[in-house]
Amino acid sequence: MLWWSLLLVYTFFCILMLGIVLQYIPAGPDTAFLGIKQDYIELPWYLPAFYIHVFTAILALPAGFTQFQKKLRRKHPAVHRFNGRVYVFMILLFGAPSGLVIGVYANGGVSSQIAFVLLAMLWWWFTWQAFVKAKKGLFRAHRIFMIRSFALTLSAITLRAWKYVIVAAFHPHPMDAYRIVAWLGWTLNLLIAELIIYQIRRP
Amino acid sequence: MRTCLFLFPAILLASCAGNNERTGSEPDELSASLMLETNYIKPAAPVMVYGIEGYYTGFFEAEEFDANKNYMWSNKITVSIDSLSETTLYGHSVVAGNVRPFSGTYNRADKTWQATVSEPGDDRYDGVFTFSVHSDSLVLRGTWTANDKKLAVTKRKYQLEHRVFGYDPNIDLPEDVTYTKLYGSYNEEDESVEAITEDALRFNPSVTLLKKEDIENMYQGDLEVMRNSIYARHGYSFRNRRMRFLFDQLVDWYMPVSVNITGELTDLEKKNIDLLKRYEAHAEKYYDVFGR
Repeated sequence: MLWWSLLLVYTFFCILMLGIVLQYIPAGPDTAFLGIKQDYIELPWYLPAFYIHVFTAILALPAGFTQFQKKLRRKHPAVHRFNGRVYVFMILLFGAPSGLVIGVYANGGVSSQIAFVLLAMLWWWFTWQAFVKAKKGLFRAHRIFMIRSFALTLSAITLRAWKYVIVAAFHPHPMDAYRIVAWLGWTLNLLIAELIIYQIRRP
Repeated sequence: MRTCLFLFPAILLASCAGNNERTGSEPDELSASLMLETNYIKPAAPVMVYGIEGYYTGFFEAEEFDANKNYMWSNKITVSIDSLSETTLYGHSVVAGNVRPFSGTYNRADKTWQATVSEPGDDRYDGVFTFSVHSDSLVLRGTWTANDKKLAVTKRKYQLEHRVFGYDPNIDLPEDVTYTKLYGSYNEEDESVEAITEDALRFNPSVTLLKKEDIENMYQGDLEVMRNSIYARHGYSFRNRRMRFLFDQLVDWYMPVSVNITGELTDLEKKNIDLLKRYEAHAEKYYDVFGR
C-alpha cells in the first residue's frame, strides 16, 4: 500500500518534470529558464550542454518505476537489465557531464555553482560505481550505489519541490531561494539514502 | 527573512470589481502607447505668447462618481495650454495613458483667463473642461465634466500648477516608495499584498548600466518599479493602475506628458529595460511554481 502511494506521488512528479522538459520544444536560445541565462548562451558549449541535459536527464526517471521492485526484478530480469543500461549510459555519457557544464554557470554565484558541480560529480561517480559493481557481480554493493545514485536523480524533483514550498511559505528573494535549494535539493536526499543503506547493512 | 508579503487584513485602496474609466491592464506599458499614436501629441513645450501657455500638473480628483463602480479617485494630470488665437484656446490633456486635444472659447478679465474647452468627443472618456488661469500665479483650476453620464466618474476637479517638463536622468525615486503596497495586488485567498522594498531604489536604471547580479535577487514588483521609473523620467503617462497609482501619488517630480516615449529612451535605458523585462518575465512565470 505504501509502495503504491509512493509510486503514485512519483508518477505525479514525473509528469510535472515531463511538462518542464516539454517547455523546451521547440528548442530555442530564449526559452523559459534560458531567458535569464543570456550571458552564457553565447558560449558555444552552453546551449548544447543545456539541451543535452534537459532531454537526456529525464530518461533517468523511469528507473524509479522498474528498478527497485523485487518482484519485477525476479520475474523479468531483462527489464531490469535493459532499463538499467538506459539509466547508466544516459547518466554517464550525457546527463551528468552536461549537468557539470551547466553547473559551472549556475545562477546564484559560487555557492550554488559548487552545489551543482558537486552534485553532477557525485551523480556520475555513484552511477559508475553501481555499474562496475553489477558487472563484477557484487550485487549488494551495486544496490547500495544505485540507492545513492537514484537519490541524486531524485534531486531533480526535490529541488523544485523545495523551491515551491519555500517560496509559498516565506516569499524569499528569488536568488536566495535558489541558493538554498541548490544545496537542500540533493544533500537531504543523500542523507536519507545513507539511512536506508544503514538499514540494509544492519545484520 | 525579508518578505514582501504583509499579512494584512484588507487595507484596500479600491476593490477590483470591474474595469472602467481611463484604465487598462497592459502588461507592457510601451505596447499600450502604440494604440494612441493617431492622437499622439509631441510634448514640445508650448511657447508663451499670451502669458498662460504651458504645462499645468496636479491631481485630477473625482467629484461626482458612482461609488459602486471601480474608479480611480485621483489621477495625476497634465493640462497643456498649447496656443491661443483671438477667440480660441487650444491645448491637450495627458492623464492615465490618454492624450486628448481640446479647444474652445475663452475670455479674459485683467489677469484671469476663463475658458471652456471640449475634447473631440470620439473617445469614451471625452468631456468638457471649464477652468480659469491666473497669469501671475499660473495656477489653473476648474472642473471636467464627462460627456458620457454612465461613466464611473462624471465630474472631476483640479487645481494645477504651472510646471516645465525636462528629462533628468539623475532624478531618483523618493524613499516613500519603499513598503508601498502595489495597487491591485491584494490577494483575497491569503490576504496578502505585494509591497515595494528598498531594492527598487538601489539603482537608477537611467544612469547605471545594470548587470544581472544587480537584479537577479530582486522581487518582481521592485524590478517593475525600476523599469517603469525610466518611463516616468520621460514623462510617460501610465495606463495601468498598478504603476500609475505609485508614480501619480508618491513621486512628486513625476509629471505625465506623453504616451509615446520609445524614441526618447537612451541606449543605456534600452539595455536596462531589456534586462529588467527578462527577470520580470521569469519571476512572473516561474517564481512560485514547481520549477527552478
